[in-house]
Amino acid sequence: MSEPVKVLGISGSPRRHGNTETLLDAVLEGGREAGAGVEKIVLRSLDYASCRGCNACHRTGVCIIQDDLTPVFEKIAAADVLAVASPIYSMGITAELKGLIDRSQYIWARKFILKNLYFTTEHMRRHKGIFISTAGLGWENVFDAAFPAITAFFNTTGFEYWDNVIVNNLDHYGGIAEHPTALAEGRAKGQEVVGLLQKMQASRDTEA
Amino acid sequence: MTIDVLAFATSPRRHGNSETLLDWVLAAMEREGETAVEKIVVPEVDIRPCRGCNACEMLNRCVQRDDMDYIHDRIIAADCIILASPIYCMGLAAQAKVLVDRAQVFRSRKYVLHLPVVPPERKGKRVGIFLSTAGQTWDYVFDAAIPSVKCFFNVIDIGKKDVRYLMVNGVDEKGAITRHPTAMRDAETLAGEVITGLREAGVV
Repeated sequence: MSEPVKVLGISGSPRRHGNTETLLDAVLEGGREAGAGVEKIVLRSLDYASCRGCNACHRTGVCIIQDDLTPVFEKIAAADVLAVASPIYSMGITAELKGLIDRSQYIWARKFILKNLYFTTEHMRRHKGIFISTAGLGWENVFDAAFPAITAFFNTTGFEYWDNVIVNNLDHYGGIAEHPTALAEGRAKGQEVVGLLQKMQASRDTEA
Repeated sequence: MTIDVLAFATSPRRHGNSETLLDWVLAAMEREGETAVEKIVVPEVDIRPCRGCNACEMLNRCVQRDDMDYIHDRIIAADCIILASPIYCMGLAAQAKVLVDRAQVFRSRKYVLHLPVVPPERKGKRVGIFLSTAGQTWDYVFDAAIPSVKCFFNVIDIGKKDVRYLMVNGVDEKGAITRHPTAMRDAETLAGEVITGLREAGVV
């Protein structure tokens, strides 16, 4: 019998229980309903520094900064599903989430400079990343500039960028709770990804 | 009268590639004369992230008291505002994004409260410059940073046509930019054009 699928949610919003965190909660709730073990990390309640650009990790593979992000990266490495959430501020992800993403440089260094870390295709297939975001503006392109940093983060940390749960035009709807479909879709997405990984585990167990 | 230049060095690495590019622009501007330059090293001052509380939509000011109080006034006073950031993970460095997000108070002033950011007579007489460097050689490496930069300059009332860009890719390790074939000359040319433009606009 396999371990339960582990879903790690990371909220990059400075506002507690706002639109983005509520949408993340829906995805996590869906995952829990499907039988996953779920944990949520709220970046604003942590104390951490931004990457110093010192490049020491290019030699050592270890970040010289030890703070509240150190265990967060351990949890990321142990997760099967990584659900990363940020509202759109000034056409991008929040400074809080960018602070986390920039700190993943040591993993990038291990992969591409020291070459002592490698994620196989099979590993990527079994680790799914979901980007969760909300925007007040109704522009179609309001998330576009956020995607490349998220793509880079999932690549670096060994997650296949599986899907987005993104909702724009929330100023028009008056918040996520008033949106006709967003929370139900988020919940369904959480159930779907956990179901998918459970099926993969089951087929591997049968083979073994 | 002098041309007031306010520059933000946002890289956590002091005197690295993006700051060097900025220093070249600032030195060339000073050589033009009648120019006062102030460089703020963002990682060394106290600017806390936006809390997303939206209080500025009512108060017309931020609820946080930190070095952004001073920077807010300087942003309004300056004729030329320069934002310099390296590209980290396909975007602005987190330190630069903190500054950009804190410009929310200007967005509230402009779009919610419908108040002027600068007096009408100064509109079109301010210039923004985005300077950036990236280790990657991809030509699209700056693309995802630009929308946030446009937001920043837009909310502080510097129009699209008044924003200049100088972005240098393929410079990674410290000092790499000094070996770039055109970066220094491009920085000096840009500085000269911007100061000339501000003079022609009647700033001095």
